[in-house]
Amino acid sequence: MKDLIKFIAQALVDYPDQVQVKEVEGEQTSVIELKVAKEDLGKVIGKQGRTARAMRTILSAASTKIRKRAVLEIIE
Amino acid sequence: MEFLEFEGKTTEEAIQHACEYYQVSPEKLEIEIVTVGSPGIFGLGSRKARVRVTRREEAEPDLKSLGQELLEKFLEKMGECGKVSGHQEDDRLYLSIDTEEAGLLIGKQGQTLEALQYLLTKMLVKKSRRKVRLAIDIESYRARHQQNLSQLALRYGEKVKKSGRPVTLNPMNPHDRRIIHLTLQDDKDLKTMSRGEGLYKKVVIYPARKKELQGANPGLA
Repeated sequence: MKDLIKFIAQALVDYPDQVQVKEVEGEQTSVIELKVAKEDLGKVIGKQGRTARAMRTILSAASTKIRKRAVLEIIE
Repeated sequence: MEFLEFEGKTTEEAIQHACEYYQVSPEKLEIEIVTVGSPGIFGLGSRKARVRVTRREEAEPDLKSLGQELLEKFLEKMGECGKVSGHQEDDRLYLSIDTEEAGLLIGKQGQTLEALQYLLTKMLVKKSRRKVRLAIDIESYRARHQQNLSQLALRYGEKVKKSGRPVTLNPMNPHDRRIIHLTLQDDKDLKTMSRGEGLYKKVVIYPARKKELQGANPGLA
């Protein structure tokens, strides 16, 4: 899951090397924390949160498959 | 591979010409210097610099293979395996996914497919630095979906005509709304309008009044 978010985020931002993804695994739910350069924050959130929402949709589809839940958090 | 030669007073100038020709930055080009230019004295014995140039492999602006590759990688990261085929029509790129788990990738009301398409478009725009119009399809879901929507539009259209009262449909994204509008645009007895704010608006179908039809805008009719 971590890889997936990293892959998406890096393809969207201006500073791919500053993309950091951390996965905090819980029993059923894991939290994926995404951190990008300050200038890129808007790019991963998108107009009215559209990009962030799309990433969350993809994430939940991908995690259904492995019967887990994943939550994406974008960290400032 | 195709090489082209460019000239200039100096090698820098020659390279610059090449960049202008290909419309890319120098690092995207494979450059080989044929002759170094020399300014000569009083215009005598001056030699032009020549460079041989070709585009670097990765700079190739083939949107189709770029899109295919990116989408396949995307699916792989999602833990899916799927084959992607594509074709390009004018400025539109169509990608089609062949997978065993179509339902999962399409998602509830096409949500996942929508997200996938949106993100991939953004990625491609970023990579190719151009405007990209992309449509992703899985097992001709799009065609089916479109058919369902126009049937829905026609069904509600009939209802409005019978009852003479407007009907409001569920919130839809711009693409879906467009289908509704287009389906009913030729029907002189009905009018459609989008209501609401933001990405997801509701389409209202209402009966066109006789007066409006005869009076107001003959130019629009």
